[in-house]
Amino acid sequence: MLLAYALSSGITSGALYALVAVGLVLCYRTTGHINFSHGELFMIGGFLAFTLHVMWGLPYIVALLGAVAGSFVLGVLTDRVVYQPLIKAPPIAMVMATVGLSFVLKGIGRHFWGGQGEVVPFPPLVSPAPVLIGGVAVFPQQLVVVASVVVCMLLLTLFFTRTRAGKMMQATAENAHAAYLVGIRVERVYMLTWGVGAALAGVAAVFVAPLTLLTPDIGLSLLLKAFAATILGGLGSMTGAVIGGLLVGILEALAGTYIASSIQDVSAFIIILAVLVFRPTGLLGARARREV
Amino acid sequence: MVTLSNEPSAPRAIKRRNLGWLVGRRPALAVGVLLFAVLPLMANPYQVYVGNLALIYVILAVGLNILLGLAGQLSFANGALFGVGAYATGLLRLDAGLPFWLALPVGTAITVAIGLAVALPALRLRGLYLALATVAFAQFALWTFVHWDSVTHGTAGFVMAPVDFTALGLRTTTGIYYLSLVLAVLLVAAAYGIMRSRVGRALVALRESEVAAESIAVDITRTKIVAYTLTAVYAGVAGGLFAGLLNVVVPESFNLFQIVLQFCMVVVGGLGSIAGSAIAAVLLIVLQEGLRGMQDLQEIGLGLLLLGMLLFAPGGLVQALRRWLPGWTEPHSRGGDE
Amino acid sequence: MRTLTMTGLARMTGLASVAALSLMAAPAALAETGVTADTIVIGGMGGLTGPSAGLIIPQLNGVQAVFEEVNAAGGVHGRKIVYAKQDDECLPSRGVGAVKKLIHEEKPFMIVGGGCSNAAIAQKPEVIEAKIPWVIVASTADSLTEPVNPYVFTTMSAAWMEVYGQLQLALDQGKTRIAVVWQPDAWGKARLEPMKQAFKAKGIEPVSIQEIAVEPTDTTPTVLQIQATKPDAVLLLLFPKAAVPFLRDAYKVGLQPLMVGGSPLGEIDVLAKGVGSPDSVKNLRAVTAAGYGVDDPQVAKWKGIVEKRFGDRFNVLHMYGISAGQFAVEALKQAGPEPTREKILQIMSNLTVKTDTYAGPLECKPTDHQCHKALGIFAFQDGRVTGIGVTRPTR
Repeated sequence: MLLAYALSSGITSGALYALVAVGLVLCYRTTGHINFSHGELFMIGGFLAFTLHVMWGLPYIVALLGAVAGSFVLGVLTDRVVYQPLIKAPPIAMVMATVGLSFVLKGIGRHFWGGQGEVVPFPPLVSPAPVLIGGVAVFPQQLVVVASVVVCMLLLTLFFTRTRAGKMMQATAENAHAAYLVGIRVERVYMLTWGVGAALAGVAAVFVAPLTLLTPDIGLSLLLKAFAATILGGLGSMTGAVIGGLLVGILEALAGTYIASSIQDVSAFIIILAVLVFRPTGLLGARARREV
Repeated sequence: MVTLSNEPSAPRAIKRRNLGWLVGRRPALAVGVLLFAVLPLMANPYQVYVGNLALIYVILAVGLNILLGLAGQLSFANGALFGVGAYATGLLRLDAGLPFWLALPVGTAITVAIGLAVALPALRLRGLYLALATVAFAQFALWTFVHWDSVTHGTAGFVMAPVDFTALGLRTTTGIYYLSLVLAVLLVAAAYGIMRSRVGRALVALRESEVAAESIAVDITRTKIVAYTLTAVYAGVAGGLFAGLLNVVVPESFNLFQIVLQFCMVVVGGLGSIAGSAIAAVLLIVLQEGLRGMQDLQEIGLGLLLLGMLLFAPGGLVQALRRWLPGWTEPHSRGGDE
Repeated sequence: MRTLTMTGLARMTGLASVAALSLMAAPAALAETGVTADTIVIGGMGGLTGPSAGLIIPQLNGVQAVFEEVNAAGGVHGRKIVYAKQDDECLPSRGVGAVKKLIHEEKPFMIVGGGCSNAAIAQKPEVIEAKIPWVIVASTADSLTEPVNPYVFTTMSAAWMEVYGQLQLALDQGKTRIAVVWQPDAWGKARLEPMKQAFKAKGIEPVSIQEIAVEPTDTTPTVLQIQATKPDAVLLLLFPKAAVPFLRDAYKVGLQPLMVGGSPLGEIDVLAKGVGSPDSVKNLRAVTAAGYGVDDPQVAKWKGIVEKRFGDRFNVLHMYGISAGQFAVEALKQAGPEPTREKILQIMSNLTVKTDTYAGPLECKPTDHQCHKALGIFAFQDGRVTGIGVTRPTR
């Protein structure tokens, strides 16, 4: 029973980490860089939805679309303002620039929404009353989160295999130079990648907001969990990111349940350190590197 | 990153260079030290405090520059090591009963030991992986400050009695101030010494290309360890002084904001430029105090500053100084035109 | 970049010369610092920005509302109160600078401020060294006011008071298996220690002490650990950010014993909204500094003033500020037309004032500067937060 609860809670958090991690990995695969402001994209996406749905009373679907569109635009801006200008700069510069961007976004979040999400909660999409599944009580919203991750992953897979834009992104991720030579406008692909990666963070925010309280500082801890997921899954593998995300969520919940509640929060960092020290390519890194 | 400057046309440059000794790096730094030396005689205690904080950050930023700017290792661990320095010095005073003059060096040694414990596994990691690992370490350290209750006094931190400087006939605040000033001057001078030495050249070789550095017989591992050690020394000293300045040590002083502030100092000053880091540290602390009460603006400002410098002035402040003050020379700086 | 350097240097030297001037001017002033013929400067510091700003700004707004009302009525002995605030971001590292700036640049007569315990602990030595009377608005750590310091008073319930009250409430209802949940920050720590002492004083052991993160997303593991110990009461040392997920997950797994929170959980209706179900808080009680619910007619006057003046949603945080402000004003009134810091300290250490927002009078004694004694107990009944009693915890 205890185990079932720990797993159900771990899978929900894990699904969230997976969705955030997939956005990170998507950008990494194509551009070779990790966006340290990815957590803040999540935060802004959540607050956009908050504004549309809670403050302006628009329907949930409008909030979802608004948050996705808003974070997509932010992703594109990241590409224009940070990635493209620094494409030839050393990697250090890119990391620090996205760290800088994360502070700008956090400041913006604080300026416009500081203190609000803590007081006015984001209502759940479905009934707030828990339901029993095999004797384990779960919130319907938890199921929504898991389902949304599955749907997002399916859509992403379709996008990569069925659409022209997706195929171009794949090709660029495989070999940017070759893609350029066969006439793919690589710059456009980069822009699209940053946009889609950011939009995934926005989607995650809208589905998860009812389960958590939105604060301007939420980005960092989420980013670290997503780091742990990507590193566990091997940087560069999207399947790995999903599995890594779920593993981080479950490990965290198990550690919190069976070892000590104070361990829960630190397990992600321990995972990062342990994997990097003992197996820097990640648990699945070498094998699943090129999968979608 | 190495840009060739063709800025001042030759005759003008020569003309300016004759006056170089007036506006060169050394005279400018000497004036800065002099200003800091007389500050306590003219300013109110708040301004002295801000000056002292600036001096501590000078040490911190110059130290980080060795690892980040000279050796090119992107480590996020420095904010946490600064914390380790503060905790170690503070706890040695509070719980081990050591006097401050002993606690500071021992605390620094502990910081170096922990810095090396981070460095050894980090030696295998490069670029992004190093960044991620050190971010995780920084968060882990913060968690430890909070949860290792029996040693660190947990979330509430601890308060110490002010450091006693009566033996020197000084008040606590004045004593800490001048100690910080002396150490800052010594450590900045030492950084220049290191830079000009064989080690400094090895560090720069490492930054430019590990493969090339190895091919000219630079021992990569050893050089990296030296860089991590040196940076930890600076962080430890700064942390100990920070504990002495505030008399209170709590975990939240050493969060990620801390490292971003330090990154900003190094980048604004110019990666690899010692004087740049020192000047930027002073500027940013004064700026941060000026923006007190506007934290969202602080965050936006700090973020924009970091972003803007990287995008538009990757050479940093020192690049501008070099352009406008021809007497200003700076060894091994990124974007340099030595 | 060059201009940047120049402004930086100019600024430093500018500051220095201003300081030099003010140093020279200082001995010329005859009256007490911060007091002129028609004004009196009162300082206040707190986290006006940063993650805690949402909790601190209303408190200082409450103080300011009182001062503005007094000023509108002609001031104190003809002097208008000037309330000078400095932001300490609730961080000790920034707080020392904030209080130094406050003391040495604003030069207040006294201080009414302080919202976060860690920042206040770091600020305390500075205030004492400057010998300035300090009325703490909301920092609760016991070490601020124990042992008694002549300069430091608090109008907020001390940490030990609330936790003793929380435990007593559970014991009064015949509970024996009592668990504790706390959040790992300075505030939580400052409550956990006295809570452990409270258990010891009552001669019982908590069945479980668990922590959850300050801003958790999922607390199910903790909830399960607590549930496994079969508690009949859970004492919450949490802020809403942690309490809402905890209450939600407890509701999910059916953990519904008596729960008792402290001051930060006073707004049970907001918590219910956060969880999404009023059922989740039906067994929650809050032992709080505030004496009245937000909609209580007793505080309707202040609700109107605060909402009109600041546009804030009136809440219990304003009430802390209002009581602190009224306490300070009463002390100033009693000090007469020639107030000195000495006089104010003298008066405050024997002052009893009934303020508008606390259940009982603030009572200070020379041996006890924790002036707030009577805590309100609240529950969520019929869709609103209702006072169900008053407690006067003792050790």
